[in-house]
Amino acid sequence: MSSPATIKELMAVVLARELEDGDHLQVGVALPVPEVAVRLAHIMHGPNMQLIFLGARMNVHHLESIPLPDFGWDSRSVRWAESYSDRGHRFDQVKDWHKRVFFVGGLQVDKFGNINLIGVGNDPKKLKFRGPASVGTPTLTTHVGRYYIVLNNHSSRVLVPKCDYVSAVGWHKGGSDSRKELGIPGGGPKLCVTPLCVMDFTDVEKRMRLVSLHPGVTLGEVKANTGFELVIPDIVPTTAMPTHDELTILRSRIDLNGLLRSG
Amino acid sequence: MSNQVRKSVILREEEAGQWVQSGMTIAIGEPAPMGLLRWVVRNKVTDLTVIGSGLALDYLVAAGCVRKVITYYAGSPDIAVMPAFRSEVENGTLEVWECEEGILTSGLEAAGKGLPFMPWRGGVGTSLPDINTDLKVMCDPIGGEVLIAVPSINIDITLLHASISDSYGNVQHCRGTGWLDLFLYRAAERVIVQVEKIVSNEEIRSKPWETTISNADGVVLLPYGAHPFYSRGYYVQDQEHILNYLDAIKVAYTKSNRNEKDDYFEKYCNRFHSHAEYLDALGAGHLISLSEY
Repeated sequence: MSSPATIKELMAVVLARELEDGDHLQVGVALPVPEVAVRLAHIMHGPNMQLIFLGARMNVHHLESIPLPDFGWDSRSVRWAESYSDRGHRFDQVKDWHKRVFFVGGLQVDKFGNINLIGVGNDPKKLKFRGPASVGTPTLTTHVGRYYIVLNNHSSRVLVPKCDYVSAVGWHKGGSDSRKELGIPGGGPKLCVTPLCVMDFTDVEKRMRLVSLHPGVTLGEVKANTGFELVIPDIVPTTAMPTHDELTILRSRIDLNGLLRSG
Repeated sequence: MSNQVRKSVILREEEAGQWVQSGMTIAIGEPAPMGLLRWVVRNKVTDLTVIGSGLALDYLVAAGCVRKVITYYAGSPDIAVMPAFRSEVENGTLEVWECEEGILTSGLEAAGKGLPFMPWRGGVGTSLPDINTDLKVMCDPIGGEVLIAVPSINIDITLLHASISDSYGNVQHCRGTGWLDLFLYRAAERVIVQVEKIVSNEEIRSKPWETTISNADGVVLLPYGAHPFYSRGYYVQDQEHILNYLDAIKVAYTKSNRNEKDDYFEKYCNRFHSHAEYLDALGAGHLISLSEY
């Protein structure tokens, strides 16, 4: 078929393959890669998935096409929903959020998957760079069964030894018991997907570890652009490219305007 | 006895605008009640503490009305961080009560329930209690768990947009309220709701289960009042206008060309003496083009 997959399309396919039928998939605003990923998984292997955007909860597996909205805040993006805002309060049933899967970005991410959306700089009253604030990520990452960190760029300014501020706790100061010690029930971050590679967290220390390099990316490139020491396994495979089917469905039934093909 | 009548709460738009005074704490629902906010800007109200998010919050910041924001999110799908918010915080001229959605709703619930605080788990282990020292890390007296005590967030006036109301402040939203609207309503001393249409009390009483807000303190008739945002059942957001606003504000803050900002507020707010004049300037054809579906 046409042009090969772009990096963003590859990232969406990596995430889509991670998702299981029956997952409740919550995507926040301004995260086009996971928005495509959940739609792709829903079409390809998730008839019982629930997609949650802006408080609207939908299952649209029966539809031929689940296009991205033209405009992020289009109120009509909720029009196929089965319910809206979970009967009034989004946070009244966090006890059931072990079924829920979440996606989050970050201004900074450290080796234990802690995330900063607040800002960069020493003085919180006068930040050098003011971020968008925490949205609902502290509560979501506290309670969801698992979540994925998705970054638009992979650089040592983003993947840092220590976040200036932590807005969402990953594996805190490290260790598989670290969340339990804080009294945080959710399953924590599972993967960190960037334009260069896929990473997960080691079993005991919960340090970020390289899983696969995207086609054409070298180990040296990843190391040079990561601000902390990554765990590097003996064998690092290349991230599997999208199949013909995955790419066709992604382009013809979801990303109709080519959002993931540009930039 | 026979001349006793039930009191109407319908306000003229300029009257409603007068309710918001400098120094108050106000809250903005979703979609944002822009018709009322344009009065806040026009009246040159300052030093507000504003509970809100995204573009509408940034609009008031850019207009110079705000001293402090209580927000969980100042971004949008179009721009990572709102330009006026970002610039004012980086300059140290805007105070932020740092929070997140669960912490905010907890503080609003505490206010509505007349409690000093509500406990919440989201935020435990984060920097939020370090940055916002109003948030207290506490030990749960029942099971000894570590939680965050969120103090009640009290609001002087909540400003909302809805579909219809009768003259007594019985408000019905079309297709649901904005997700925070009812929290903001319950936490506030007073609430003003701008509506697309004022209907008879009989119409409200024909479907009382659809009443979302009872006893609004003030109701204002402002059709198309959420423009440039959407109003479910009536019109969709005006994407072009929103992007124009963002461009103007970005230029004003990143290139220090304040004229761009002043021009925007002059062109789309300050020069009008009424909401009708604002709609006239947009034009009937343009408004019709925004009809839903």
